[in-house]
Formats: sequence, structure tokens, C-alpha cells
Amino acid sequence: MRVLWLQRLTCCGNTHSFLNYEYLSSLFSRVDYFFHPSLSIEGEEEAIGKVGDIDLLIVEGAVEREDKALKSLAEGSLFVMAVGSCAVYGNIPALNNPEVCGLQYRFKEKGGLLGEGFVSRGGLPVINLSGCPAHPSWIVGTITSLLEGIRPKLDQWGRPKDFYSSLTHWGCTRNEYFEWKVEAQELGSQKGCLFYHFGCRGPLSYSSCNITLWNGVSSKTRVGTPCFGCTEYDFPRVGLWETRQYAGLPAELPIGVSKRGYIMLSGVAKMFAPSRLKDED
Amino acid sequence: MRIERLLMQRVEGEAELQLLWKDGIVEDARISIPTSRGIEKVLIGRPYMDALVIVPRVCGICGHAHLMACVQALEDILGVVPTKKARLVRTITQSLEVLQNHIKWFYLFLMPEVAQADIYRPYRGKRWIDAIEVSSRITRAIALLSGQWPHASYAVPGGITSSPKPSDIVDLGLTLDLVKGFFQESVIEDIRKFLEFCQSEGLMHKGKAYNRLLSGGNLFNGPGYYMDRVIHGRLKTYMVEEAEPPSYSLAYPVRYKGLPFETGPLSRLLLLPDPEVRHMHRKYGDSFGVRVLARVKEIGHLVGFLEGVIKELKDRLSEPSNSLKRPPKEVKGYGLGVVEAARGTLIHSITVEKGLIREYRIITPSQWNLGPRCEKHLGVAEKAMIGLDRSEYAKLVLRSFDLCSVCTTH
Repeated sequence: MRVLWLQRLTCCGNTHSFLNYEYLSSLFSRVDYFFHPSLSIEGEEEAIGKVGDIDLLIVEGAVEREDKALKSLAEGSLFVMAVGSCAVYGNIPALNNPEVCGLQYRFKEKGGLLGEGFVSRGGLPVINLSGCPAHPSWIVGTITSLLEGIRPKLDQWGRPKDFYSSLTHWGCTRNEYFEWKVEAQELGSQKGCLFYHFGCRGPLSYSSCNITLWNGVSSKTRVGTPCFGCTEYDFPRVGLWETRQYAGLPAELPIGVSKRGYIMLSGVAKMFAPSRLKDED
Repeated sequence: MRIERLLMQRVEGEAELQLLWKDGIVEDARISIPTSRGIEKVLIGRPYMDALVIVPRVCGICGHAHLMACVQALEDILGVVPTKKARLVRTITQSLEVLQNHIKWFYLFLMPEVAQADIYRPYRGKRWIDAIEVSSRITRAIALLSGQWPHASYAVPGGITSSPKPSDIVDLGLTLDLVKGFFQESVIEDIRKFLEFCQSEGLMHKGKAYNRLLSGGNLFNGPGYYMDRVIHGRLKTYMVEEAEPPSYSLAYPVRYKGLPFETGPLSRLLLLPDPEVRHMHRKYGDSFGVRVLARVKEIGHLVGFLEGVIKELKDRLSEPSNSLKRPPKEVKGYGLGVVEAARGTLIHSITVEKGLIREYRIITPSQWNLGPRCEKHLGVAEKAMIGLDRSEYAKLVLRSFDLCSVCTTH
């Protein structure tokens, strides 16, 4: 498999996320050709000339609508992968610039550089690995599954279901506080759920951050930082550390939960919450 | 007279170098960075806490330093002092970030240019792979304290959100042992190879800029600057100014007292001081070889420094992580954050009104080093390339500043 990784409007964060992967040298020994602008000796143009047919084109960074060269490379590639929320949705570089977008989206609007109906030669739309950055296991996991001839099953945003079918909330070590509606009252506390006062998007975002841990050891919520929902199109929302509330209820409830159900359950949960959860550390 | 355009490979981001040749000598050099993401603009009008999430996204390799500069500036506005424990933890993660940066830069960006041996070859070479593995152990250690790397937002006004455990301290110690081993067994040998290369190519004498160096000094060295052979032990941040950029550049030049200064490991080790670096600097000046030597030697200094900080943290684990319960809403004021990132002094300044960001200014180390000319003076790296007689040397000299285009224009 010949892989070409290109960068556009980026902080290179997905590259450094990728470099965290534990078995990187095994990956490199399995592919026939791997080009990356921060790693390879040759430059982008030379690599494009040398590689011939591209099996997997990886794009990191938001793109400009005018980028015809990238568009034609994508059209000739067997598979196309957008790595990180910039390449998927446009993200921060697109916020103030209408000419900047993701490969197949601009925030929640379908289209992007490649167009709504884009399907690569291999028969898939852009494989979107959202996240700011994307987790190394999602990146390498997707590359290796293509290498093994397994086509990833994608969700409605073009993201592999393997990594984006569960909420970030799954596996959060503060889950019990969430269940019993014990709220964190301050930042830096080891106790309490961050959903009520600190804007945690764990129950509103899809990612496996708390299942496949970051750097193999942790995650935002495990160190008491709220999830900011960086795998979703509306990242970075305004008011990232706040939970908007109406009449004492979070304005946005966990995905799939009704207002009535939430009120009933939280009333009961609060009343019967075990005291060990409420006692300060 | 001819103009040569060179695209830089293996740097953070993308950059173009233009060399103006006359009689086989570089007469003028321009660094142009074609893109900017407008991060400062994105911040305007947002609640001030949002900055803690957005500014790390300036840079994938030094985002942590941006977080630290931001939180310092916010604490300055709020009049909040972080707990001692939080300060130590922040210092650890910030230093670890610098550590992984230097290892990656040396083995991914520099050594493949310098040494042709197989062990330095990208993707396959043993040293190249070892360097990536050691770096990922370091970033893993950052994540123990900050949740993840890159792009954590665990530092908040008053402290940190995390509560490190004794087992984390043990883990940090083991990670440092690993880095120390790598430094002693591999890096020292490769520094020697690098110096041999410099001697044979005459690069100990080449690539000199203004020989003016400065550091804001928040890790292992104090603040100060070197100029006209004298070290000054203070830095007046109000004398730091951005100038108008020339038409070829999207980056703003930065000046101290109206003059260009270099920032980064050479400044830090000169101020520390490191006797060997001071000696080499006295002998060769701010040359390519000395600049690189300082960058690589800093790996050793950081390891020693970190051992001390970790020891200090061990006795403070039961202290509170945060001195501020909840960030207040109605906030007004101006704040400044000055920290040392891998490439040098990083400055964030923030104006907040009614809890919302009115102005956000970021001055990155790469603006000091790689920023373009102002009306009076060439940029530091531009100056360092003048007089060279081979384009390979010009590229190496540019590389010695650890080129990061994403930070230069942000």
C-alpha cells in the first residue's frame, strides 16, 4: 500500500498524535511507501511524482476551496482520509474564513472541497477521523484495516463506527457521579460530574477517548477537565467551560434523553445518591 | 545576481526560503510562510476561559507552552496565584514538552541532513525509531498529569484540574531514567558526530546572526538578555514590540528595545550558564554549531531539572490542585503571560471586558527567530544566512532555529 500524508492549514497536532502510536515502526514496515512532509526526505512534489497510484491519501489540516491540486489527487486515490477536525469540518481555520473548509464538510454542511457526492475510486466517501487531534489508534487503526483489505463501516459523518459509535462518556471514571447527579462544584476537584456546571460534552459527543485512552494512560475527563466535544462539527463552541441552563436544566440533554425522563430520573437519583459520592475528598 | 527559491522539507508546517545570490554568496535571504490561521481573531468576543482550549491549537508540538502562557495571563487579570503543587505540575509538563520537541527535532529534522548512516534514515533507521519511541514515552508522561498530549487544557486559573498520585511520581521517575539512558548512550555520541560534521564543513563559524540573545526565563533559568558581550539579568517586557511585516511575509517581526534578538536554548543556556556552551559561544559566537549544540545539550539540563521538580512535588501531592473554586464571570482587565517554549520566549497578552476577550496577542519564539525584517533590521535567521556560499548551508542554518511555521504566523 502506498500512503501519502499531506498537510494544509494545520497546527501539525495530528502528526504529533500519530507519532505517539506505540507500534509505529511495525506500521512503517508493512506499507510499501509512506510519505509524510515532516518525516520523509523527499518533498511533496517529488513524492507525488514518485508514488504513481495512491492507495491512501491522508489529509491533515483545513483546505482552501481553490486547492485544485489536492482535489485532483483525491479523485485519483483509492481511499481518502481526513485526519483531525480541521480536515473533516474546517474547524478553527474555517471560523473566520469562508474560503476555508474540510474535505467533504464545512462544519455541518456537506460539500467541502471534494463535494457532497464524492466517492473515492475504492468506493468510499472521505473517511473522516474527527478530533482535535484524532487519537493515534484511530489513525493507525484505520490505515491498518485498509491495509488488511477491511473496509471501515462509516457513520453519517463518514467516521469509522469502530471509533465513533459510542459516546465519549462511555468509560468515563466519573460516570457514577453522572448517574447519581452529583455535580462537581469546583475545577480541580477529584469528585463530581463536569456535565452540569463545566460544559462537559461527554454525553453529547461520539469518540472512544475513555475506552482507548490517550497516550495509553488518560483522558481529559480522567484529569478533571471537561470534554470539549472536539470530534463534533460544532467544536469549538462559544463558552467551552459552561453548561447553558434553562430553569435549572442543561439546555442540551445527553443524546437520546427526554426532558421528562431527565427530570424524573435526576430527582430520584439526587435523593438516593450514596453519601460516599457526596463527601469531599 | 540570481534568486533561488527553496521549499523547506521536514519542518513544522511549510516555509519557503528565497536566496539572493551574488558572486556565489548569499546577499539577501527571505523566509516566507504562505499561510496563517488567524487564531487571535477567533478568540475575540469569546468568554476568556475559551482561550485555554483554543490557544493550544496554535501549535501541535508546543501547544502546552501556549496553554501555560494563556493561564498565566488570565491569572494576571484575575489576581489569582496558583497553588505551589499546581505550579510544580505545570513546570513538569511544560519541561517535558520541550524535551520531546528537542529529541524529535534533532533526529527527525536535523540528523538525516547531517549524517548519511543508515541508523538516521527516516522510517527504518534504529536511532530514528528510538527517538520517536522515547518521545512518545515522554508525551505519555505528560498525559499522566494533563490527560492527553497534544492539546490538553488541564491548566486553569488558580491551578490545574488534575490530582497526581504517588504512582504517577514513580512513573515520571522511570520515564526520566529512560530519557537519561537515551541521552547518555545515544545523544552524546551523536552530538560528537554532529560537531565533527561542523568542523569538517566549517559550520562552527557560519550562520551567525546579531549575537543578541534573550529569554523570559520561567523554567530553569532566570530572565535576561545578552548584548554587546554583557549579560543583563532583567527583561522589561514592555519593551517588546511587534513591527509591521514586509509584503512577502504574513509574520510580524518582534523587537526588544527596537532591536532583533534571538531566543531559545542558546539564550537559556548562556543565562544559566552552561560552562561548555558559554565557552563555545565565546569562541565561535552565535553560530550554527553553537546554536545546535545548545539545543541538544538542553535535553540533559531538562532531565536534571525535572528530577529536582519531581522530588519537590512528591511532598506536596496532598495539597489542593486549585486555589480558585470557579472562574468568575464579570471580569475586566489586562494580563500578560511569559513562558519558555521549546523554541524560546512565548508571550501572550489578553484584554478582557465583561468576561469576554477584547484583544488577544501572541508573540511566539519563532517570530523572534524566523520573523522577517522590519524597516531597520533584517530578521534574525535572515541575517544568519547572509554570506553563506552554499544553499545546503542556508537550509541547515535555517533548520538550526527549529523552524516552526505554524507558530510564526499562527
